Amino acid sequence: MNAPPIIQTRSLAKTYLIGDVRVAALEDVTLAVAEGRFMAVTGASGSGKSTLLNLLGGLDTPSAGTIEVDGALVSAMNREALARYRRFGAGMIFQSFNLVPARTALENVELPLVFSNVDKKERKRRAAELLEKVGLAHRANHRPSQLSGGEQQRVAVARALANGPRLLLADEPTGNLDSRTSREIVGLLAELNRGRRLTVVMVSHEESLVREYAHDVVRLRDGRIVGTESRA
Amino acid sequence: MRFTDAVEFALASLRKRRLRTLLTASGVMIGIGALVSMISFGKGMQKNVTEAFKASDLFTTLMVMPGGADVPSRDPARPRRPAETAGRAGAVLDDAAVAEISQIPGVRTAYPDVSFPALIALEGEEEFRLVQVVPAAVAASNAVRVGWGRAYASDDEEGVVVSRSLARRLGTDEPAAAVGKTLRITSVSIDLGELASLDLAGLFSGKGLPVAREVYDFPIVGVTEITAFGGGPSPVQNDVIIPPGTARRIKRLPITSIWDLFRLRDGRLGYSAASVKLGSLRDLEPVKSRVREMGFTTFALADQFDEITKAFYFMDMILAAVGMIAIVVAALGIVNTMVMSILERFREIGVMKAVGAGDGDIRRIFFFESGTIGLLGGAAGCVLGWAVSLVINRVVNFYMARQGMPDIDYFAFPFWIFLGAVGFSLLVSLVSGIYPARRAARVDPVIALRHD
Repeated sequence: MNAPPIIQTRSLAKTYLIGDVRVAALEDVTLAVAEGRFMAVTGASGSGKSTLLNLLGGLDTPSAGTIEVDGALVSAMNREALARYRRFGAGMIFQSFNLVPARTALENVELPLVFSNVDKKERKRRAAELLEKVGLAHRANHRPSQLSGGEQQRVAVARALANGPRLLLADEPTGNLDSRTSREIVGLLAELNRGRRLTVVMVSHEESLVREYAHDVVRLRDGRIVGTESRA
Repeated sequence: MRFTDAVEFALASLRKRRLRTLLTASGVMIGIGALVSMISFGKGMQKNVTEAFKASDLFTTLMVMPGGADVPSRDPARPRRPAETAGRAGAVLDDAAVAEISQIPGVRTAYPDVSFPALIALEGEEEFRLVQVVPAAVAASNAVRVGWGRAYASDDEEGVVVSRSLARRLGTDEPAAAVGKTLRITSVSIDLGELASLDLAGLFSGKGLPVAREVYDFPIVGVTEITAFGGGPSPVQNDVIIPPGTARRIKRLPITSIWDLFRLRDGRLGYSAASVKLGSLRDLEPVKSRVREMGFTTFALADQFDEITKAFYFMDMILAAVGMIAIVVAALGIVNTMVMSILERFREIGVMKAVGAGDGDIRRIFFFESGTIGLLGGAAGCVLGWAVSLVINRVVNFYMARQGMPDIDYFAFPFWIFLGAVGFSLLVSLVSGIYPARRAARVDPVIALRHD
């Protein structure tokens, strides 16, 4: 880990109020991710993996602690700055793909470019290019319902990269996929990580995939880091 | 997010929920349609009345009445009290006074309002009517709308002008056919020969009044149109008009009612009123003050016009208020549709936020959606309001034509009504969109993405 960290969290905590009960989803998480690394976050369900990823992705705000991404203090951003950070700073993919069902694959990939004011022609060109990169050029005009799970996740990956972020966050990207397709998708992420110097943080509980592709593994239990491993 | 993209997003979403969009826009259409037809009706009435007044020269007509007892009080707080006013010196409105008024600069003609009761007969059908004496100059002006034949050419021509409704009542439905027919006017006069030997006691013993019937025949030279808004305070409103020279040759009582005798001043009767035609509205004030100096009371419709305009504003407001009820209902419909849309697209909003949509982008998409509903509904409402007005106009005119009334446009559509209606509809829809748009912008993406 000789490169400077692109992500640095310090004493990160997130508590939810469920009824009158305060539930800690994350406690005292201090974590650094070096640029260009592929990090896996593992842990049992309810261990706070997704909460951590939502905080890193700027979808949620921490109860305490700080998040710094690429020199910017994400934890102190207002709503508008967070939207801008989600637009340019970090691309996200999800277990349930989260494509817009009424829009074609190409239009889904275009979506982030719409919010960054790219004109229509340029948008189409870039989206088509990204779809080709994930191997779906021939499915550009299909709707999500006409695509397989693996194909949908590839569209989601292309969409996450649309505005050229340096960070890709994947929340259980293989949770809805069979093992062969899962391997393909994680393989795609690893390829992007290698080829584009894209930093990847992936939440997963599939040990075999994690062991095969991740440089760093962070283990969470009950909202706390209980172990980290790294390999060169 | 660019303007064109926001429009595209809004349209795509509205197209996807086509039926609901149509229904919501229909609500707006009905509201705007009601408002458009209400306001155009108000404007139509105002235009018709104003134009009828202008066309009949009412604005340049001054009514002159004798001062004193016959001054009708127009102030409700001070009702007329004859005992108090009868003794006041008032000028007598006689031929000399009328002649003097007609010499005032700016006066085109001045003529006394003279009418007398008579039995009118046309080809055997008869009816009691007041015959009005109107100078030829006035009969030829806009104050009298001769639709068939012509007005009499001189004050001494042996000819009368009758109204279309009188001709109809007397059995001649086709007004053109009445021209050239002979109208028999039977007046009543006091038989001076018998007056000398009048025995008042005899009145009650069956001897009879010393009254004679005088019969005159005149050709009908013209028939007047019925004007829908020409009634009111028009100077010429009787069914039979006759030139003054000709009228002078008709033997008749100098009074139309016993009440006229109360107006006697030193035995002089004078006219109950005179009409003064002015060259233009500018002459009104100077002529009015000159006539008042002579001791007469004046009444000018132009003075009342501000009041009439105010009354029309009031009417417009009431009509608009009725239309507003429908608009409020339509606005609630938009709010309902948009809130439903948020619930349905909860996850989609979350996805848009996750890929970088700001609060402003989401607000804009929803604003454009409600605005588009408003524009669609507003435009359709203009067409609906216009179409409904057209149908109502047709139906009303169909029934009015049976009454012999001419076709009238009861609705007026100045261009600003449509512009204003669409603009107002857009405004209402945007206001309706405020709450849904803010609510959509506040959606928490974490919750939305977990939502199924």
